[in-house]
Amino acid sequence: MKDIDLLQKKNRKLRDFAETMGSSGLAFTGLIGLFFLSILVWQIAAPTFIDGENGEIPPANEFITESDYELEWDYPNIDSSGELTTDPIVLEISWDDGDEVHELQINVISQRDVYEDIYLNESGLSTEIVEVGRKTKFHIYSTLPQSVEVKQKSGPVPSADETGKPLVSTFVIEYDVAVLYDEGIVFEPLEILGYGTLIFLVVTFRFPKPSMLRFIQKFTGKERQLKGLFYALALVTIIAGNYSLASILAALCWILSATMSTSLTKGIERLLHSGRELSETSRLKHSISNRDGLLMWSNMLLVISTLFIPLEIYIPFLTERYQDIFSPYSSGIRAAFYGTIWVMLIAMISAIPISVGAAIYLEEYANPTKTTKLIQALVTNLAGVPSIVFGMFGLAIFVKQGGIGWGLGPSILAAGLTMGVMAMPIIVLASQEALRSVPRSIRESAYGVGCTQWQVTKDHVLPSAMPGIMTGSILAMSRIMGEAAPLVVVGATAMIVFDPEPLAGLVGGNVNFTVIPIQIYFWTSEPDPAWHSMAAAASISLIALLVAMNSIAIVLRQHFRRRLN
Amino acid sequence: MNNEAQTEEIPDSTRDLDIEHDRKLMIEDLDLWYGDKQALYGVSLPIAKNSVTALIGPSGCGKSTLLRMMNRMNDLIPICHYDGKITMDDVEITGKDADLVEIRKKVGMVFQRPNPFPKSIYDNVGYGVKLHFKPTREELDKIVEKSLKRAAIWKEVSDRQHELGTALSGGQQQRLCIARTIAIEPDVILMDEPCSALDPIATAAIEELILELKKDFTVVIVTHSMSQAARVSDYTGFMYLGRLVEFDKTDKIFSDPDNELTKRYITGRFG
Repeated sequence: MKDIDLLQKKNRKLRDFAETMGSSGLAFTGLIGLFFLSILVWQIAAPTFIDGENGEIPPANEFITESDYELEWDYPNIDSSGELTTDPIVLEISWDDGDEVHELQINVISQRDVYEDIYLNESGLSTEIVEVGRKTKFHIYSTLPQSVEVKQKSGPVPSADETGKPLVSTFVIEYDVAVLYDEGIVFEPLEILGYGTLIFLVVTFRFPKPSMLRFIQKFTGKERQLKGLFYALALVTIIAGNYSLASILAALCWILSATMSTSLTKGIERLLHSGRELSETSRLKHSISNRDGLLMWSNMLLVISTLFIPLEIYIPFLTERYQDIFSPYSSGIRAAFYGTIWVMLIAMISAIPISVGAAIYLEEYANPTKTTKLIQALVTNLAGVPSIVFGMFGLAIFVKQGGIGWGLGPSILAAGLTMGVMAMPIIVLASQEALRSVPRSIRESAYGVGCTQWQVTKDHVLPSAMPGIMTGSILAMSRIMGEAAPLVVVGATAMIVFDPEPLAGLVGGNVNFTVIPIQIYFWTSEPDPAWHSMAAAASISLIALLVAMNSIAIVLRQHFRRRLN
Repeated sequence: MNNEAQTEEIPDSTRDLDIEHDRKLMIEDLDLWYGDKQALYGVSLPIAKNSVTALIGPSGCGKSTLLRMMNRMNDLIPICHYDGKITMDDVEITGKDADLVEIRKKVGMVFQRPNPFPKSIYDNVGYGVKLHFKPTREELDKIVEKSLKRAAIWKEVSDRQHELGTALSGGQQQRLCIARTIAIEPDVILMDEPCSALDPIATAAIEELILELKKDFTVVIVTHSMSQAARVSDYTGFMYLGRLVEFDKTDKIFSDPDNELTKRYITGRFG
């Protein structure tokens, strides 16, 4: 054997070793990544599902803040010897739709500032008789996860006259204890029916079966009535659901079902008209107009509805607001989540139309003069300006009153507009790129049938550039979603215990708001380590939101791109 | 090659042709520049009504440029400017205030590469009609069906009109483009090498179609295929280096051309 053979062998071994190491190393890093991811997911899940962390995490229904209401009687109904001077004051407290009824007697003495708090829980009242001073408030606390009804059965009302005689003979105090608790999934039957109808139509669109088609064929000629019915159902759903998110989504499902069923019956009609049978289901997809578009929208609607199911179920981390500094595990990102959504929506509404318009002007209409070249250069440079600078801009223009300031205050509106301004150059550049890449042949063919320049732009160039424009817009939105610096300047607050009001800066009200990145930032600076895991969980939520948005971008892009070739 | 000498040899090649009384388009003394580069030199050419006129010549000789002048498509190129006159039915269409939309409605165009809109087959054909006329749904259905039938593609797409036009095969796409063009009932159809991207079978289908279209429309076709020009056209113009070297009835050009250059080109002994 020659020396060279030995050498080669050795080399091969080395190579194989490197190969194994390399691939297993890659797999290992992947595993580490997965490990970290699972730890973070655990951080979210743990406070919700698991007892742990130095003892007990109370089950979800004990997270409710106690709901209380207060009563006070102006005049005593009991004299110094302990004799009742009026009918006994008796409150009837009931819950479980009247299954649980308890009575509470209240004796009002002339001494002031004597009181005892009453507690309500599943086993009943903490006491049957209570003695309270006149003109003294006493509280009834409920830890029940439902409404409690309180009625006065007898005795003078709190506003009786001095003799203790009630001003009216009978009266009812009804007080709904605020429920901060959702009883699991709260989908109404109509909502479920709406989702079901849409799912049925999607399945029929995608995998048509002759039996299904025969069923749908019965509605041929009655499209208008069917459409009317679906629209009415949408309205009923939304009203019955009290304008909740689930009901709005379900109503959208009904509306989309109306369109889909009409185009399906028309498609069946067309199929039969061209001399084919219902059993030739594979031909059906060619005779339904705008099949791809309808499928895409309905799929997206169904996916979004699925994504929002967690908000309908009680998961404290997602559905609770920031409580206070001492209760990390019963706090959640609800306020910050809504803040983020509102800021993004306002940024989107303000930035996308203006930016796309500017891109169309620069790309399609403007002659390449020195001015347009200057504008182009400015836009390009603006895309790279640090975000904090935009924050200062927003502070000067949108937040401050007087001078050039609009005086919106440190509100969601000001934050959204600031973010919109920040997103604009990015969207302009992406849109310009997309418009530039529309093939000349599309423009020529449009001009060839006699389009004006605006018709060419609107009907052909813009739809063809849509994937690019949309990708650019959604990427810009994802970027501003994770941005904290400008909002620190604009004035996002650290702790919000209520849902933010999007138009507060304009119409008055509480302007305070926060967004997820800011919430993360402040939570990491708390000393209690529990907050740190909350911050980690919040960052996972942020990433989940980002992934969801990018997935929407991908779906939209695929849809429009498929139309192009 | 001496261009000066060549131009002198063609005084007015159209003088003997008996198409004065039914001419559709008349191109008179057209010069055209792309920036500093002159692409057409004094081209004059009549286009007869209800006939097929073919323009042949080597690549870069200005055939397509001449064709694209007839519906002012060259106006889309910013650096292009021209001098000369084109009249359609004795109305000038090269004027500054000419209505481009109206011209392109009357002079339709089919391009070298099939370029249907990224819309459904139905919308491809219906788009132009909706743009210029305001048809009801039923009227539009009829026009679309008629146009697809005239473009000899109805049989293949009748039951899938709502599929994307871009999903058809190349030959079908080109016939769809023809259907789109004839749906708005133009007077003239310009075809810029309509078969260059197609296989022989699709080419044969298009050629048959062109002969059919001649009955209702005036067709001008630019082609690289000598045999195609001979098969489909009534008149043929041979262009070389931006000049119209010879224009005559197709039979004459292919059997007994006046010009030595034409003769060499059509017999393939060129350059």
